Amino acid sequence: MRQTPLLPRGDAREAALFFVVSALCFLAALSALIAQGTYTAAAAWSAQVEGELSVIVQTPDRALAEDLADGIQQLNGVIEVNLLSDEEVEALLQPSLGSGVLAGSLALPLLIAVQADVLVGDPSPEITALMASMSIEGEVNAHSGYTAYVREALRLLRFVAMAAVTLLAATAIAVIAFATKAALLARRDIVDVLHLSGADDVYIAQLFEKRFWVLAVQAGIGGAVAALAASAAIVFFFAETDGIAAQLLPQPDLNRWNIAILLATPIVAGIVARSAARVTVISSLKEMM
Amino acid sequence: MSRYRAGPGDDIAVSLDGVCLNYDKTGEVLTDIDLDLAKGSFNFLTGPSGAGKSSLLKLLYLAHAPSRGDIRLFSRHTQRMKRRDLAHLRRRIGVVFQEFRLLDHLTAFENVALPLRVEGQKASMYRDEVIDLLRWVGLSERVDMRPPSLSGGEQQRVAIARALIKKPDLLIADEPTGNVDFEMGRKIVRLFVELNKRFGTTVLIATHDLELIREFNAPMLRLSHGLLAQDRDFGDRQ
Repeated sequence: MRQTPLLPRGDAREAALFFVVSALCFLAALSALIAQGTYTAAAAWSAQVEGELSVIVQTPDRALAEDLADGIQQLNGVIEVNLLSDEEVEALLQPSLGSGVLAGSLALPLLIAVQADVLVGDPSPEITALMASMSIEGEVNAHSGYTAYVREALRLLRFVAMAAVTLLAATAIAVIAFATKAALLARRDIVDVLHLSGADDVYIAQLFEKRFWVLAVQAGIGGAVAALAASAAIVFFFAETDGIAAQLLPQPDLNRWNIAILLATPIVAGIVARSAARVTVISSLKEMM
Repeated sequence: MSRYRAGPGDDIAVSLDGVCLNYDKTGEVLTDIDLDLAKGSFNFLTGPSGAGKSSLLKLLYLAHAPSRGDIRLFSRHTQRMKRRDLAHLRRRIGVVFQEFRLLDHLTAFENVALPLRVEGQKASMYRDEVIDLLRWVGLSERVDMRPPSLSGGEQQRVAIARALIKKPDLLIADEPTGNVDFEMGRKIVRLFVELNKRFGTTVLIATHDLELIREFNAPMLRLSHGLLAQDRDFGDRQ
């Protein structure tokens, strides 16, 4: 025999609450997904540039630069050396200076791209010494220097994402607590009858806990799905972007971290709602009776 | 102050010592109530509106704690009990209200079964018992109906059945005949008398209806301005 729930089915207030919790779950999940995606993209980019160096040669003598490149290739830990063509240098500078400006109007330096083994160490001092021995003016630019900034930015991003998720969770707790108290007052008649029928505080709290658990899990699923759709749209939109921006944007894969975030969203929402409801009901009942 | 004692026998179900109730410091609603209700006694409580009848009943069905004094129910000091234990003690008390206080979204059957459901009993265990009780109060044809589709008298009988389903040791009724017609009011009180005789339930009924009190000729406690007064016609005083 199916029993009617002791708390009546939801009304307009619960629909509004469902919307608010869904929106909070959406924002929390989206924050976490974007933070995770950006972190993955930046980590991949950092790993790629970690062993890279650029050698800027201040001489128009391409043959001398080729000799220098051959010398660098002989150094311990150097994996690959590539003297860039004028077209490749132009392509590198184009995002900063625009197209059509460079051709013949500026004296471009020669660039040697070096890929070194990060496990052996930074070959910059040896390259500098080699240039000095060959009387070549120029400078060595180790890209690993930039990764420190990226790491710092990632730490900040992670902190901001965690702060955003914590703030959203705190907002959800406040909203659920407020809604529970409102529901408790609106259903005071039921609470009184249950009390008179011998129900203790825990029994009454469980009715509200169950109600808000179900509501928050459903809202969490809605929010997580919306966050997945939004992040997919963001990735799709920026996937068209060329150049370095595309490398730094969130990766378009559904990795285990993203799946974990999406699965955790409704469960965490449910647990938060249930706990907030329990604490609110038990403390309110002590004030009421 | 005199101590009022209702009912024969030494076994006391309800005992109040120097009980005062003060809701908001503006004045005492109840003042120095000393009262014993013997087990199995049948009593009326009367008094003008605002005299404190409902407040006294609230103390007895543990919806409120007294500001001062001591309440013992079935020999247990209620002020010293934990909230959880008070809830369990409440299961020995049946309460009937003038305004019925039924849950509109539940059927008559579910309303009556509520105290059993709260205890964690399965519907299959109490189904026959609830149906029998609804038959006893004359509602065997209304089992699956919800309160809004029942008349006032029928709703009151559902509320009574809910109060009786656990065969309480104490039955408290606050103006139970106030919202039903004369005949139904008599029928309801006769149900209480039958319960009192059959199960030895201690009964306390708050009412304005002096005619009803005379008709059933039971001890009467009179409240006036928060003070319990002796009634020469119906009350016993020690």
